[in-house]
Amino acid sequence: MSKEQIIRFLPTIVLLLPLISAALILLFTQRYRKLSAGLSTGAVAIGLGISIFLFASQGTDNSEAGSDPKFTWLSIGLAQNDSPLPTASGQENFALDIQSLNDPLSRLMLLIVTFIGTLVHVFSLVYMRKDKGFSRYFGALSFFVFSMLGIVLSSNLVMMFIFWELVGVSSYLLISHWFEKPAAADAGKKAFVTNRIGDVGFLLGIILIWQQTSSVNIAYINSVEISTLAGLLIFCGAIGKSAQFPLHVWLPDAMEGPTPVSALIHAATMVAAGVYMLCRVFPIFTDVALVTIAWIGAITALLAALMAIQQNDIKRILAYSTLSQLGYMVMAVGCGGAEAAMFHLTTHAAFKALLFLGAGAVIYACHHEQDIWNMGGLRHNLSRTSITFIIGALALAGFPLLSGFFSKDAILMQAHLSQKPLFIIGVIVAGLTAFYMMRCVLVAFFGKARTDQAKEAHEVPGEMLLPLIILALFSVFLGAPQIGLADFLNLKEVKASHHAAMIWGTVAAAVGLIGGYMIYRNADKDPLPAKLGAVSRWMRDRFYFDELYAFLNHWTQEKLSFASDWFDRWIIAGLGVKGTSGAVDVTGCLIRLFQSGNLQTYALLTVIGLLGILAWILF
Amino acid sequence: MDLQLVSLEIGACLLGIMVLLVDLWTPAERKAQLGWWVAGGLVGVFCYSFTIFDQGTGTGATGYVKDSLAVYFQGYFVLSAVLVVLLTQSYAARIRSGISELYAFTCFALAGMSFAAGANSLVLLFVAVELITITFYVLTSFERHRLRSLEAGIKYLILGAASSAIMVFGIALIYGSTGALDFHGVARAANGLNDDSMMLLYQLGVLMTLGGLFFKLAAVPFQLWVPDVYQGAPTPVTTFLSTGSKAAGIVLILRLLADACPPLLGEAWLRQLLALMAAATILYGSLCALRQRNLKRLLGYSSIASAGFVLLGLVTLSDQGAQAVLFYLTAYVFGVVGAFTVISVVSEESSDEDISTLANLHQRSPLMATVLTLSIISLAGVPPLAGFMGKFALLRAAIDSVAVHPVMPWVIGAALVGVVISFYYYFTVIREIFWGKGRFWAEEAPSTEPLLCPRAAEVVLLTCLFGLIGLGLFPEPILFIAGEATEYLFSAN
Repeated sequence: MSKEQIIRFLPTIVLLLPLISAALILLFTQRYRKLSAGLSTGAVAIGLGISIFLFASQGTDNSEAGSDPKFTWLSIGLAQNDSPLPTASGQENFALDIQSLNDPLSRLMLLIVTFIGTLVHVFSLVYMRKDKGFSRYFGALSFFVFSMLGIVLSSNLVMMFIFWELVGVSSYLLISHWFEKPAAADAGKKAFVTNRIGDVGFLLGIILIWQQTSSVNIAYINSVEISTLAGLLIFCGAIGKSAQFPLHVWLPDAMEGPTPVSALIHAATMVAAGVYMLCRVFPIFTDVALVTIAWIGAITALLAALMAIQQNDIKRILAYSTLSQLGYMVMAVGCGGAEAAMFHLTTHAAFKALLFLGAGAVIYACHHEQDIWNMGGLRHNLSRTSITFIIGALALAGFPLLSGFFSKDAILMQAHLSQKPLFIIGVIVAGLTAFYMMRCVLVAFFGKARTDQAKEAHEVPGEMLLPLIILALFSVFLGAPQIGLADFLNLKEVKASHHAAMIWGTVAAAVGLIGGYMIYRNADKDPLPAKLGAVSRWMRDRFYFDELYAFLNHWTQEKLSFASDWFDRWIIAGLGVKGTSGAVDVTGCLIRLFQSGNLQTYALLTVIGLLGILAWILF
Repeated sequence: MDLQLVSLEIGACLLGIMVLLVDLWTPAERKAQLGWWVAGGLVGVFCYSFTIFDQGTGTGATGYVKDSLAVYFQGYFVLSAVLVVLLTQSYAARIRSGISELYAFTCFALAGMSFAAGANSLVLLFVAVELITITFYVLTSFERHRLRSLEAGIKYLILGAASSAIMVFGIALIYGSTGALDFHGVARAANGLNDDSMMLLYQLGVLMTLGGLFFKLAAVPFQLWVPDVYQGAPTPVTTFLSTGSKAAGIVLILRLLADACPPLLGEAWLRQLLALMAAATILYGSLCALRQRNLKRLLGYSSIASAGFVLLGLVTLSDQGAQAVLFYLTAYVFGVVGAFTVISVVSEESSDEDISTLANLHQRSPLMATVLTLSIISLAGVPPLAGFMGKFALLRAAIDSVAVHPVMPWVIGAALVGVVISFYYYFTVIREIFWGKGRFWAEEAPSTEPLLCPRAAEVVLLTCLFGLIGLGLFPEPILFIAGEATEYLFSAN
């Protein structure tokens, strides 16, 4: 086998390693904690090695997108060897090839997933050390990595949808890892159900595309015209998975899961899958679809940023920030900047994973205290952790020359090129982002320690610090032009817009940071509620979306359920089932009267029966 | 007459006599072990008789025929006799008088059934039926210390005698009207009957003879004895009643209809009668089994319902229907023997036959729980087990004959309703195994102590397990042999 042939197998190997590890852990090694963790970490680390190799050796080479092995999973109306692409004759020819995709986009994403995945695995070794579901945790983590890589490597929409659902399942498993906690179990359920709503749209979109083009091959559908409706239905999938308005409600609750999971799944990878998918099928969107996407993204970004301002739980602040940044990326896609979205996705993966793992370290050090108002002054005890966290926060805030600055810049430029209102919203969100990150950092790490936990916090062990430091380095340098990520993504630059974006973005970040500093310097409790009154309460209560949904649910679904329950209980079960079975039962009881046990009766009845037959037949 | 032709019957009788003789020199505690030898001997005799058939000997002069149909049923009878003998051995502790006699009588009954399989004249038909029935009178009341067993024996004796009387009356009428005793002679003579009153007598005779056979089969309205006798008889005897004795009735009905009644086969009333009986029998068995708590009685009703399914195959009066009946019986034997074996072991331990004694069986004996569950599921007709293929073959034969006979859809409908009802009582048994709470008035929870299964019963259970799954997954070989056996049975006319 030549070297090229081996390389063609590599993506599939990366995909299958975590699956093997998950199967081994869940089936055999549940009882051996270290072995399980080793298997899981090893699988993703080897995957990282292969991904680096692929990325380094092939780079932006787009000539050969296929990989081995390739097999036809489902074939309707054509022989095994026929072309999977539709013929002119019609719809009945359809083949589904299972094949890993190997192009620059998937190679980049492969790298992100395995890189963050490896660091999170290492971090989890310590963070989850005392957990009794240790092996199960790593098994689920491996399963998640497998599913996520499946999305990345999917060459057709059906394959993507299958992995899309598997990601949903593994996310459910990990969010409700501490299933004995009702909040965690509920959060898992909420995430799953909310995602399903989007997935139904996604599935309908796939079916519609298949009906229109008689293919689900991504390369093919990107080259033909697709209706707006199909594009928007596909976008529904992204709304669910990337937690866009109005399905954003599940992501904050998903923070009930272990913090490393939040870092991997609910910050860096899974929620980015929606954005990745949009970039993957970007050519199918019509102008109308793109405008809708852009505005959904912008609304999400703005709402989430406002909500983040009044949260007190450190993980929730980061969760709303994630929502807001995902909105940013979606907005970029809508403005025609898929490259900018991928750019921000990459840098965001680095600094948001850093922030979450940092938050995890803080929580670990403070004995599972998550309220930032119960912290304070942590920079003294947790100096290294706090430095990395601050770097992450600055990168997120778009501090000049850190990675977030460049990628945010690229998005703002796209918005400026597209629609001015979107640009204005983008700038406002940039300012808000800087403001709430400043608030978070100041309250948690500066000032005086407000509780005993904060006073007695100790620096976390090296296995936890190492991923933080690595991620901090990436957060700083990843965006820099010299690294070449922008070139890799083929990011185009338009002078005038670029300048506007850079200037306004920097101004917004500066205003946000300074404003945050002024308000929260040495604050012992949040001064904002007093100043803003009702508005602050709305922000804190997430603009009452959950309550609104609960209300709608109460008046539609619950009433419908009530009616159908009544129908089922009384008409179907009562009249139909019970009535039938009762009638049968009574008949049985009556017939059984023949079996009296009396010999004379038996003989008499037998003879009567015989005579009856004879009489019927013969006379 | 060529004695080699009846070597199986002679062998079975000799084996029975030998057991009685050997018994005299066997110490009491080892008498039960004779069962292994009897079972082995039966298999040996069958193999020997099979080689005779292979040499191509055909019809004997005295109303005995050893064709492929006879060999199929003889194989079936030997199979069930072997299983029953092994079951008897594990039941030995409850037999206070003469376990060897029980073996011997089983062999004699087998000889009778084997004669029935090859009976080709009314005389041999009557003799074979009497040989079976009289043996079973003794077998049924074998547990003389148990009142129920005696009661069952008496009931069977009196009702059986009545039905024999009806049958022998019918045979006399046939002989009177046709002047022949062998089936083909009867058929020839009946074809030549042009006197209406003679024809009437002939029809009357056929119906009454069939009535006697339906009594063996337990079809409505000749089914009343079944629950009481099944419940009272020793469990191995009940098993043999529901497999061997019933099948003997079936093979005789098949032969009588196909060989002696060609003039009647075209009559609408015959099909109507069979159809009505099939529907009534299926529904009667299924409905009565509801709420039944005694396991043997429950299986008795289930056996009535099965007789109805056999009739469903007979209604078609076609080779395909007969083939389906043969296959159904073979599938049926594994389910019934499996179920009765488990019930026998469980009820010995608790000296009770209530359904609640099955509680926790899956913890007490996984093997028995598995076999009982699969047997019940197979009897209910759930794929992929043997019983499903049997019911499927029967229904397919019935549906194929819809075009020929207008009453058929109604019978099929009744059969389906019966199947649905039967699911309820069959699954009651399964529920009791896995989720049973014991008798509701019992003070303590049902036992979870391991329940030991005797070696012989274990062999039976494993055979049944093998048969249930094997026949369900690979029905082709048996279907093929059954097809060979029933080829030209009806279509020859």
